[in-house]
Amino acid sequence: MIWAISAGLLGLLALSIPVGIVLFLLGFGVDAFFSPFPLIRGLGNLVWSTSNNATLIAIPFFVLLGEILVRSGIATRTYSALDRWVSWLPGGLVHANVATATMFSATSGSSVATAATVATVAMPQAEKLGYDPRLFSGAIAAGGTLGIMIPPSINLIVYGFLTQTSIPQLFLAGLVPGIALALGFMAITVVICLIRPELGGLRRTFPFPEMLRALLQLIPIILLFTVIIGTIYKGWATPTEAAAVGVAGAVVIAALFGGVSVKMFADSILGTIKITSMIMLVVIAASFLNFTLASAGLGRELQSLLDGLGLTPTGLILVVVLIYIVLGFFIETLSLMVVTIPIIVPLVVAQGFDPIWFGILMIVLIEMALITPPVGLNLYVVQGARKSGKMSEVMVGAIPYVIAMLIMVGLLILFPSIALYLPSVLSGS
Amino acid sequence: EELSVVGSWSGLPLHKQYEAPFWGETLPAASGGEITVALTTHNQMNLGVGDVFRLLGDGVYDVAMTVADYAVADAPELEGLDVPLLALTADEARAMVDAARPMVDDIYAARFNSKVLAIAPYPPQVVFCNAEVSELADLEGLKVRASGRMTAKFLEALGAEGVNVSFSEVPGALQKGVVDCAVTGAGSGYSAGWWEVSTHLMAIPLGGWDSVVTAMNMDRWNSLSAEKQELIMSQVQAEFEAPAWASAQDALVNDIACLTGNGECPSGEARDMTLVEVSDADFEKARGVLVGEVLPDWAERAGGDWAERWNASVGSVVGVSIGG
Amino acid sequence: MEESLLHILRRLNRGIALATGVVLMGCAAIVLADIVLRQMGSSFGGTDEISGYVMAIATSWGMAFTLLELGHVRIDILRGRAGQRARAFFDLFSMLVLTGTVTLIAYKCWPVVARSLANDSRANTPLETPLAWVQIPWFAGWVWFAIVAWLTFVAAAMLVMKGRFETADEAIGCFGEEDLAK
Ligand code: NA
Ligand code: NA
Repeated sequence: MIWAISAGLLGLLALSIPVGIVLFLLGFGVDAFFSPFPLIRGLGNLVWSTSNNATLIAIPFFVLLGEILVRSGIATRTYSALDRWVSWLPGGLVHANVATATMFSATSGSSVATAATVATVAMPQAEKLGYDPRLFSGAIAAGGTLGIMIPPSINLIVYGFLTQTSIPQLFLAGLVPGIALALGFMAITVVICLIRPELGGLRRTFPFPEMLRALLQLIPIILLFTVIIGTIYKGWATPTEAAAVGVAGAVVIAALFGGVSVKMFADSILGTIKITSMIMLVVIAASFLNFTLASAGLGRELQSLLDGLGLTPTGLILVVVLIYIVLGFFIETLSLMVVTIPIIVPLVVAQGFDPIWFGILMIVLIEMALITPPVGLNLYVVQGARKSGKMSEVMVGAIPYVIAMLIMVGLLILFPSIALYLPSVLSGS
Repeated sequence: EELSVVGSWSGLPLHKQYEAPFWGETLPAASGGEITVALTTHNQMNLGVGDVFRLLGDGVYDVAMTVADYAVADAPELEGLDVPLLALTADEARAMVDAARPMVDDIYAARFNSKVLAIAPYPPQVVFCNAEVSELADLEGLKVRASGRMTAKFLEALGAEGVNVSFSEVPGALQKGVVDCAVTGAGSGYSAGWWEVSTHLMAIPLGGWDSVVTAMNMDRWNSLSAEKQELIMSQVQAEFEAPAWASAQDALVNDIACLTGNGECPSGEARDMTLVEVSDADFEKARGVLVGEVLPDWAERAGGDWAERWNASVGSVVGVSIGG
Repeated sequence: MEESLLHILRRLNRGIALATGVVLMGCAAIVLADIVLRQMGSSFGGTDEISGYVMAIATSWGMAFTLLELGHVRIDILRGRAGQRARAFFDLFSMLVLTGTVTLIAYKCWPVVARSLANDSRANTPLETPLAWVQIPWFAGWVWFAIVAWLTFVAAAMLVMKGRFETADEAIGCFGEEDLAK
């Protein structure tokens, strides 16, 4: 069954059928060929229950928040301020891409929204200053993935929702690995640009007073982050509600520091609806596929496969990591999570692993899936913002950052406390 | 015959100790290999809890089990199966469920095109508080996390404020004072570490017993031979329903011991929550609210002659009469 | 004629998307108000229930807009290498498959509404929301998606038959104008 589904997935995707529709077709196929029961009768209920979900409303809220920041000009000013501080490094403006992505990750719960935000403001600079288009766009695609590791994070909300683990604890656990990954991205950029200086374009230094003045431009984003995270940890709002707080905060901050107009709101709304529906078609389809796979016994098949291997707990984790790397090439990330979490997480937890730690490990693998071809949503978002050049350039440019993520996976397995230290200290237990 | 069976929450003892062995081994063995079972659970299928019996009625699978209370959106009369505070011991709860069984059979046949095979209990839904409470009246003005419509309405009638928090967020919510109290099964609260963030335990079933109904699609049931029907029915009763009930009272006593340290805790380290003793007067007052407000409200929701049927069956067992 | 049909569809869906977005912002405002009220020791109750309904309805009504904006992600490994004529056939085929699937979904959503109507189902919450009230708008959104998909498919097929590949590409190709601007 696993092989037939993989082949079907690749074939249908190659025909350029929309990803969400492909997942529906696979669900129909599993129903017809691998399940003796008329699962399709449950289709309507699945569509209703999946979309009638108060947790998922965080998706449009976070996308809207990012749209408002871009269209009010706050995103551009944040970018140029960070540019003042990091462009002296070998790699120059590439570091500003990573730094801006990190900053926006702290206000956005979505990697796609983060990558779209940074790409919009960064791309116009690339050609002007003579950067290597591969490294420059790869850094945006990779930096954008931090959106789901650094809190807030829709994917961590979905993980917490599906596994019944605490979302604030997951958010705390993602903070250190998220910042470490950002530093790792910058370190690997420095290494590459020391070896091949021509890739990095112009290194620039700015007078110190100008750098200090630039800090003022970061205030809106820091304010917004404080408001969103503060309401969660003060116990005023649940993580989902905090997304609504973020929208309100973005509107206020746009009014105070940027430009607001009816057109700006209209454009932000249209962009939000477009991205939200795109994601939701995939999420709904993935949950139908998951329903057919569970009914057809994929869980049992996978369980007996893993049992048959006679693995040690560490061996199990390594196999699971391998499974996610491979599936991550081909499957859209939110659907990958929805389909696999109910099957994989119980197996992992049964071996004595901490579900919060595993959630963070999974997020690193999901980040990787976002920038590995052929199906890597962030690659497409960045390419969409480029207006010229080949898709393959973005893919090549992302490779160094995939390596940084692999190193992070290894570190998390060797030192679980990278993720678990902060939640254990701050939860006060 | 291959039966596709969708079990209740895979992480809870009812599934692990009774459902999974019964459907996975006992029934196939008792049938001499004539019945085989493909077993999964509704949470593994990622189904909405309100959809489980809807899809059973549509024939998506053959057998399903979950908390009856999850299905009351489609059948308000079903709320009468699990009324809070009427049964304090497992034996009383069993008597209530047995009395309600003919009504439940009718409801499942009419609303979900299904045949009821068994009704088993989850542990009673008790109250964890991170606040000084010494009687039920102290709940007035507190923020309480409840699940299920009748429990929420009951809490409102007692003067508490219902707050909706998902199970996994309850510890954080208790700690930060987003809620003062939360209702769940004593065992679930123990294993999820709620004792870390709450001080007082009210060991009365304010949320009822969360009866779990096992039912089979009616068309599928009718397609079975009389012998197979007989076999399934007798096996379910003897090998699943009876042992699940038999352990329910012990489980409650053990769970309370684990949470409060009053007695032996077989599942791990005993904790030291304060056990709140509910006085008879206090209890009678709460029951007055239940009988005077919450049940008549339900009778209106359910409509038809459900209140009369309930009075004649469950009501007469527990000594309560709606509207009189 | 095909072009004016597509034009009308785009304008209609733009209006619908704006309205949907306003509803979403309204929902954010309600959530915010509830957070503030809670600090003052009171609450609307049921904001998460309402958020769920808003999400379901917003999702179904946004689908057609995203379709016309070419927002539903497609992988163009083979398509990107093909010539103009072959690309048009990739697009038409993909559009036909999408249209069929969405029609099936809309068709299968009706029994959900029908059962809620038959049972007079009310949400298992203190609000007791009649489920049909929220499921009918949700269902209508999927029906609208199916209708728009069929009309778009027919219009694009006619454009291709007339050899107007570029106009067809704008309607059902892989990347939209907005993608480039964003
Ligand atoms: Na984030
Ligand atoms: Na990928």
